[in-house]
Amino acid sequence: MKIFLIKNLLYSLLCVLLFTTNEAHAQVPEFLIPKDIVIQHAGSIGFMSLGIGYPVFKNKRGSLDFNYGYVPEGRGGTLRILSGKFAYRPWKIKISDGIKLYPANPGVFFTYHFGEQFDFYWDKDTYEDGYYWWSTALRPHISISTEVELDALKIFKTSKIKGIRLYSEFNTNELYLVSYFKNVGAVPLRNIFKLGIGLRVSL
Amino acid sequence: MLKLIRALFPLHILFLGCGGLEYSPNQVFSGDSPRNINRNSINRLNEEQGDARIRFILTGDSQRAYKDSKDLIEAINKLPEIDFVILNGDIADFGLYQEMESVNQIFSKLSRPYIGVIGNHDLVANGERVYKHMFGELNFSFVYQGVKFICHNTNSRESSFEGNVPDLAWLKQQFSPETGVDAYIAIAHVPPDDADFDESLATEYVNTINNSSNTLAALFAHTHNHRVFYPGFQKKTPYIITDPIEKRKFVLIEILDGKLKYENISY
Repeated sequence: MKIFLIKNLLYSLLCVLLFTTNEAHAQVPEFLIPKDIVIQHAGSIGFMSLGIGYPVFKNKRGSLDFNYGYVPEGRGGTLRILSGKFAYRPWKIKISDGIKLYPANPGVFFTYHFGEQFDFYWDKDTYEDGYYWWSTALRPHISISTEVELDALKIFKTSKIKGIRLYSEFNTNELYLVSYFKNVGAVPLRNIFKLGIGLRVSL
Repeated sequence: MLKLIRALFPLHILFLGCGGLEYSPNQVFSGDSPRNINRNSINRLNEEQGDARIRFILTGDSQRAYKDSKDLIEAINKLPEIDFVILNGDIADFGLYQEMESVNQIFSKLSRPYIGVIGNHDLVANGERVYKHMFGELNFSFVYQGVKFICHNTNSRESSFEGNVPDLAWLKQQFSPETGVDAYIAIAHVPPDDADFDESLATEYVNTINNSSNTLAALFAHTHNHRVFYPGFQKKTPYIITDPIEKRKFVLIEILDGKLKYENISY
């Protein structure tokens, strides 16, 4: 029952986040209105995922995204995944007038898998405490991305879109990491670091 | 210099390879996943029926022990006249696709075919679907040189002790007399005297195995301790549990003239 409630709560939260965008200005405080729309392929948060993003810190080098991802059956699903992602861009390289490169951006994110086979808690009637130590639904990840920013005003001559960013992102999770560190040298890095690519549009 | 390194960083895609697109750690398969590993191994065995002696390896619990698994494969490949290898459950630790894929990458270096049996850790999260996609059915059997090897799911806890694991009806049918079969061997992950085995089914399970026309042995893993015991009334059928791969020991089993011998081997 408790698990059911949590899942529904997360689901509702997502719906609220996705649908209270521009039309609902009057009711929503300014800081809640998303500034970015993010679409990502792979990267452990869905075959495709769609999300909203908020720049954080004064310098706007940080970002906080909430994505909803989907893996269709034909791609190894069906899976529905909610993710909350944070990343920071410590370095910026100006390539040309309208193009900037953020070469290495560390981040952390959490994923939540919906579905009966994934749980926050192990059923207490079936498993003693600590029988399995990890959660199957909630997964912490660390990531590193590379991002190219295109100045929309200069390139596309429009003021409706402020910027377009393309990124590739590697991530791994705690379960892959414990497997890696138990077997240093025996597990290739590509078995634990997984790739995704995405597009971030700043409005 | 630092600037150069930073500018070169996008090349990380090239360094790490483009095979690394992952949709979710819980995905059931990826584009290049192996399929039907067990059926392919059994077909390979059927094509090359060897001499009268059957020699095979019982190992298990490869979960997260990739380094030791590599050494195990090297050790087995050095042994002469091995027919096949049984990886008796807990192939993965977290029921993830990448784990079963990594273990298969290592085990496919075996010079002989291997059979993967379902363990409790393989059933966690989406693991059951991953196992079925990569290895095949949870309950299956094959006949090799007149001996029927009956591989089955005994991970009762993973189905909350609902009384359907192990599937006794299926098992009874498998142990019934059959032309071309002189002997039987039961293979499963959780042994019947373990707390993870459905207690209400244990007696009937042991009877089903022991009361066939000729059961040579029952083989298990899971407990992480090598042990041989003789449950049931007649106390004649050995129930053999293998050490986990991380203990760097396995059991070599030999069947000749209807007699079974076993030996615990360190590497």
